[in-house]
Amino acid sequence: MVLGTEDATPVSFWFAVLSGASVQMDDLVAVETRKPDGSRVHFYGIVDHVRTRHEGVSFDSDVQDVVAGLLPASVSYAARVLVTRVDPEDFIPPQPGDRVRHATGDSLKLALSADKMDFSFAGGLLADGQVLPINYQFVNGEQGGHINISGISGVATKTSYALFLLHSIFRGGVLERRGEGHNTRALIFNVKGEDLLFLDQPNRKVTDKEGTVETRKGWSQGRYPRLNLPVTPFRDVQFLAPPKGGSGEAIVPDVEQRAEGVTPFVFTLREFAAKRMLPYVFSDASASLNLGFVIGNIEEKLARLSAGDTTPYLTVDDWTPDTDVLIEEDVRFDEMGRTRLTTFSQLISYLEFKLLDQNDGEGDPKWVLKQNQGTLRAFVRRLRGVQKHLTPLVRGDLTAPQAERYRPDLLRRGVQTSVVDIHKLGAHAQSFVVGVLLRDLFEHKEKYGRQDTVFVVLDELNKYAPREGDSPIKDVLLDIAERGRSLGIILIGAQQTASEVERRIVSNAAIRVVGRLDLAEAERPEYRFLPQSFRGRAGILQPGTMLVSQPDVPNPVLVNYPFPAWATRKDEVDDLNGQSAQDVGEDWLR
Amino acid sequence: MPAMRIRLDPWPVDIEGGQLALTPFEGDLIDIETTRWAAMPQRAIPERLRTVYVVDGKRRMESRVFVEDDHGAAGMGGFGAFVVGAVELCPHGTRQAQLRDVRASRILAHAPGLRLDPATLSPRDPHTGMLTYHPTPTLGEDQLAALSTLQGLMLDAEQQLSHGYASAVPQDEQDDREWLTALTIQDGTLRSKNLGGAVVGCVKTIQTMYLPPDRAHLLTDLKPGERTPILHMRYANGRVTRFIWYVRLCEATFYQHPMSGVMRLEMYAPDEPDFLPPIVRQVANLSGTLLMRLGSAAHKDPRAPQNLIPTAALEHAMTRSMGSAELVTRRIRAHIAQTYGREVVA
Repeated sequence: MVLGTEDATPVSFWFAVLSGASVQMDDLVAVETRKPDGSRVHFYGIVDHVRTRHEGVSFDSDVQDVVAGLLPASVSYAARVLVTRVDPEDFIPPQPGDRVRHATGDSLKLALSADKMDFSFAGGLLADGQVLPINYQFVNGEQGGHINISGISGVATKTSYALFLLHSIFRGGVLERRGEGHNTRALIFNVKGEDLLFLDQPNRKVTDKEGTVETRKGWSQGRYPRLNLPVTPFRDVQFLAPPKGGSGEAIVPDVEQRAEGVTPFVFTLREFAAKRMLPYVFSDASASLNLGFVIGNIEEKLARLSAGDTTPYLTVDDWTPDTDVLIEEDVRFDEMGRTRLTTFSQLISYLEFKLLDQNDGEGDPKWVLKQNQGTLRAFVRRLRGVQKHLTPLVRGDLTAPQAERYRPDLLRRGVQTSVVDIHKLGAHAQSFVVGVLLRDLFEHKEKYGRQDTVFVVLDELNKYAPREGDSPIKDVLLDIAERGRSLGIILIGAQQTASEVERRIVSNAAIRVVGRLDLAEAERPEYRFLPQSFRGRAGILQPGTMLVSQPDVPNPVLVNYPFPAWATRKDEVDDLNGQSAQDVGEDWLR
Repeated sequence: MPAMRIRLDPWPVDIEGGQLALTPFEGDLIDIETTRWAAMPQRAIPERLRTVYVVDGKRRMESRVFVEDDHGAAGMGGFGAFVVGAVELCPHGTRQAQLRDVRASRILAHAPGLRLDPATLSPRDPHTGMLTYHPTPTLGEDQLAALSTLQGLMLDAEQQLSHGYASAVPQDEQDDREWLTALTIQDGTLRSKNLGGAVVGCVKTIQTMYLPPDRAHLLTDLKPGERTPILHMRYANGRVTRFIWYVRLCEATFYQHPMSGVMRLEMYAPDEPDFLPPIVRQVANLSGTLLMRLGSAAHKDPRAPQNLIPTAALEHAMTRSMGSAELVTRRIRAHIAQTYGREVVA
């Protein structure tokens, strides 16, 4: 019953829990009150605070007398509700004495505004085991878009939850209901370890883990059946990884744990020039105006240089490298007397020549454009700095079929999820890959419009789009955050601390999710969407538990989500594919 | 000649009367337990005493009224409320103490001869329930008739409650099979006739000094938990007889009167002092142990230790069950205004 000793308002009220009943935080409740004219108003809300105390005693020490059986006292068990919905929207307060019921079934749907959602998918399980619906139209960009996840790293929650959401979107049936199951895709950047390289493999621990949870909660159904999701790994996954360093004919992906099924990806030198990738090499182009000018100029020059041919390499006619280059057998007639640039370091050497060496150290005036030597040197020095990381990635020594085969194609037919492994790359090369791929994707979508939705999962947003400073990749991410949703690019971004990420990216996310937070971080303005009691609680959340805020529901909701059905480490891979060892053995014997 | 000494009455001055008054007693006292006048040690509470009830009552006059009935008769009266209730507890501490039957009754006391309907005061707000006052004729016509009617009803209810809970006390020597399993502690002196239950009255104050001066010194010498022998007492008019004894609940602090911390207990006694029911002796034996456990602490209750912990809680609950006096008077006024029109409003 609604308490009369605390204020009851249309947005928050306390209620007394009768003896024998039990209420915990995050339970959803419903209250009906009547207006004087007899019409009913329903309040739906979420319990954000529970407390018990002795009523009728005045001293703290009275508890001893109560327990000793001398002093009669009653235990007052009360809970505070944050109202999520008033239906109809008559903002009168509930009355003391109104009965509070646990919201289930239809009233739960109303409490979470699920009746307003045409298309929803499961965002996890509420504390009482019911499913939290998330409005798909606020995810895919129709009404809003983007998901932002914050949380301390190491508690392994951000990426897991992002993957769970993808699994729920792909396999929960929302896409089938909308008839777009075939062309919704995901692009996942793997920035830590090789965790995500086993997404397509079943996890052998999932049955045990989920069984334990099921037993502990005393449920008759596991979490996957409750969520109406299959216990299956991701399907139609392609894994892309940068190749191992060193030149040579063989291009092998630079991964250790997974031996097969990973495609290396490279960019040709010509693409590098033609697609104007140069700026993505520099993460701090804005540090000096002059440097930015030089980069822009060289970018332009390289683009011109690349025009008119389709070979993976570039040819120049005004430079001979110091080292002797053996004349290759497949030299073409129109290249006679010209030099091929086949490696990234050669490209740098060529640029060094054009800027600093030609004309006795004056440089080619058209390339230099009267910039002073210091700036030019800084430019070259920075390029040399990333040379080691980019050499395997950007190469001209490929055959045309190789270039075709290893070009990263995120929208390849038959592929639903692309995992791009960049964890081994240096910070600059990571930014380069993320920036280039996202820019490609963005330009592709700009050209062809939103015929399909692409979810981009990117952890450590604070690295790519920090609050301070500008960089080309930050521009791409901002573009995606601000215009991407109309083009069907949805950013599922994650970071440890939202306070360090560009505000426009975080604020554009319709769905915000918070895992465990540092308590000082939780007090920052980026987390104002969390009521105070939730902010305090963000410090004690366990792995597998998240606070989810969505536009339809004014208060965040605590959910837990099941253990991944896909392997997140090599030792979790279920070699037997879910069968018992005996069955597999029999298969072999046949 | 002894030096002059001043010591404090233990209770604060705003409590009427103080704990000590020491008016001499003029009546009969008979040694019924023993003729040896010495302290008796405290004893443990027997296992079979499972339940102790602490009973108290409270009353409140809410408004004085002038009533006219439909037949033209008129008289004085008043809206009043009284409540009796009990705390049920286990003397061995194995259960939680609980409030029992704490319910307010409301009466509209009126001069005899009027014919009135129950007054139902409906609330201004439908979420706060109704109050119903049952018309009850008073005995007299005087100013305090309404109050004394209220008081009488309260005492009756209190006594019914006390005896209803308690084990029966045998009144002659042939009947000794009764066990003491339930005991009622009633706040204050026992009133009215004996209804046969094991009810012990706890008198917090020593207004009247029943003991002659040559015996009074024992009260000063009692150690906490010890008691005096049981006496059979008869008032000077010969009408009321009681068993009485004194118990010390706590040591008196050096600045207090040496009799502070001493409490008088009484139980109903037959008129003829020839039989001491074994239950009375049992109650006397365990009274020191029980009351020391129930006694409150000075920082929590100004009338400590005599005002027992359950009694204080019960008083609190009773006050609460009568509702806020201010709101009730306001509702009475609103009721009259609504029912009889504006001009009646005081």
